[in-house]
Amino acid sequence: MTTHSDPGAGDDRGTRFNVREFARTARGNHRTELDLAEFATSPLNGETLHAVRYLGRLESATMEHLRNLLVTATHKDARVTAFLVTWAFEKFWLADALDAVLEANGLPRAQDVEEGRKRRTVSESHDRRGPIRRAISAIRLGVPIIALHMTTGLVDEWVTRAAYEKLSAAGDSASLRSTIAMILEVKSRHAAFFEDDARRRLAEPAAARLTAKEIVTQAWPIGAIDRSAEDRTFFDEYVFGGDDGRARAVAIEARIAALPGLDQRVAARIRERLVP
Amino acid sequence: MAFDIDKYTATSVSVNWDDLDLEQYREHPLNDQSLRTLRYMTDVEYHTVCYTRDLLTTPSHKEAEMSSFMTMWNREEFWHGEALATVLGHHGIVVDFDELKATRLKLGWKDRLDPIKQSLLGKLVGADFVAVHMAWGAANELSAIQAYNRMADLEKDPTLAVLLKRIAAQEARHVAFYTSQARDRLAKSKRAQTLARFVLNKFWAPVGSSIMDRSEVVHVMNHLMSGPDGRKAARRIDASISAMPGMKGLAIVEKSLDKLGIAA
Repeated sequence: MTTHSDPGAGDDRGTRFNVREFARTARGNHRTELDLAEFATSPLNGETLHAVRYLGRLESATMEHLRNLLVTATHKDARVTAFLVTWAFEKFWLADALDAVLEANGLPRAQDVEEGRKRRTVSESHDRRGPIRRAISAIRLGVPIIALHMTTGLVDEWVTRAAYEKLSAAGDSASLRSTIAMILEVKSRHAAFFEDDARRRLAEPAAARLTAKEIVTQAWPIGAIDRSAEDRTFFDEYVFGGDDGRARAVAIEARIAALPGLDQRVAARIRERLVP
Repeated sequence: MAFDIDKYTATSVSVNWDDLDLEQYREHPLNDQSLRTLRYMTDVEYHTVCYTRDLLTTPSHKEAEMSSFMTMWNREEFWHGEALATVLGHHGIVVDFDELKATRLKLGWKDRLDPIKQSLLGKLVGADFVAVHMAWGAANELSAIQAYNRMADLEKDPTLAVLLKRIAAQEARHVAFYTSQARDRLAKSKRAQTLARFVLNKFWAPVGSSIMDRSEVVHVMNHLMSGPDGRKAARRIDASISAMPGMKGLAIVEKSLDKLGIAA
């Protein structure tokens, strides 16, 4: 047991993201602040509701993702795990807010609707690995794998933000826009943590090399690998299809290329995975 | 009675200590023995999220109810860590995340192999393994309640007692979830009963045994679970575990105390 008595030594030194403050000010149940009355008279269209349901499924799939992270060395970093506990909590309530939108439109909650079959493309087999293979390969990879997980979290934030922005612009609904504004506000702190942490870790050459090699094999956003092929095809087309969608993917590509230790080649491969 | 997951998630809060006068510890500190035990409890609470990985390496992560529970459970336990760390902080003992990380980095090979072992076992026995996890979780949460209550009784510090009772009240809701899950799943499968009985009997050890030094485990068990009152608490936990389908007669807590050489 080691203890020390330096009250100045917390996780908030310098400009580092303050995990304790984030945990203390976490935002939970949003039901009372949502304005859902509008939907009774002007319900959202089918495409918009499909996007809402799929985003809800993605937001609520935190425990599967935590499992994949925690079977690796990422579980050893108490600051990262402390963040992830609150991250999962906030996402749980974001998914619940999206469920509230579905219910106000006369639909069941996302988890009460059967999902279709998964997509089984060969190029995604690496990302489909179960916990056993992940745990075994992570032994070899060691602590640098945390950089991969933090960078994946960051890119996931950029991808889902693009989806929410498209959704907000697509539906002519003030209620939906205000719900999404709230969601993006909550998610901005998640992006801030991942960005802060990823940048620090990517400054280590070994961590950057590992991240560059592994991140190009992933399906987007986080958790998509476990979702239905039908939902994924819809999402890819909805967010990244057409000229507008392509522009969104190119903007993400540019941000990835600008991260320390990652280059244009890595960014382009991720963009290729986003665009249908 | 079935566990109402929606009610649980809607009412899950981080444990509160704003109204407690912890400043008083600067003048009237807790004794070293208690601080050492509190430090152990803090580490264990912060570590809870890591146990999620074991639970999730089985088919259980596919179930929405389980995911919802775990999300709140992780957060409540994290805040137990924060609350206890605050008490320690008022004694000049700072527990920060970087230092916890250093402890975890020391865990070594066993820690790296555990998720693989758990996953393999989970895969081998499939859905029945969820029942084992739930029974195991129930045993852990039951012992957490007894540990906090014992600590409150032994320390006789009214402020600490209030905080520990608040934490124990949250643990009681965790017990309700784990036992209702375990009971349902064990009742449905003889194989799950046999498996749970075997695993609990053979492998269960006091919470924290896998992450803390043996000397710390022995200290905490001696402090909280020794003597007639400690044994009485241990028997209470064992009685609750024995009440689950197929677990009749199990005395895993008493057995673990004997194994650690804790005097009755």
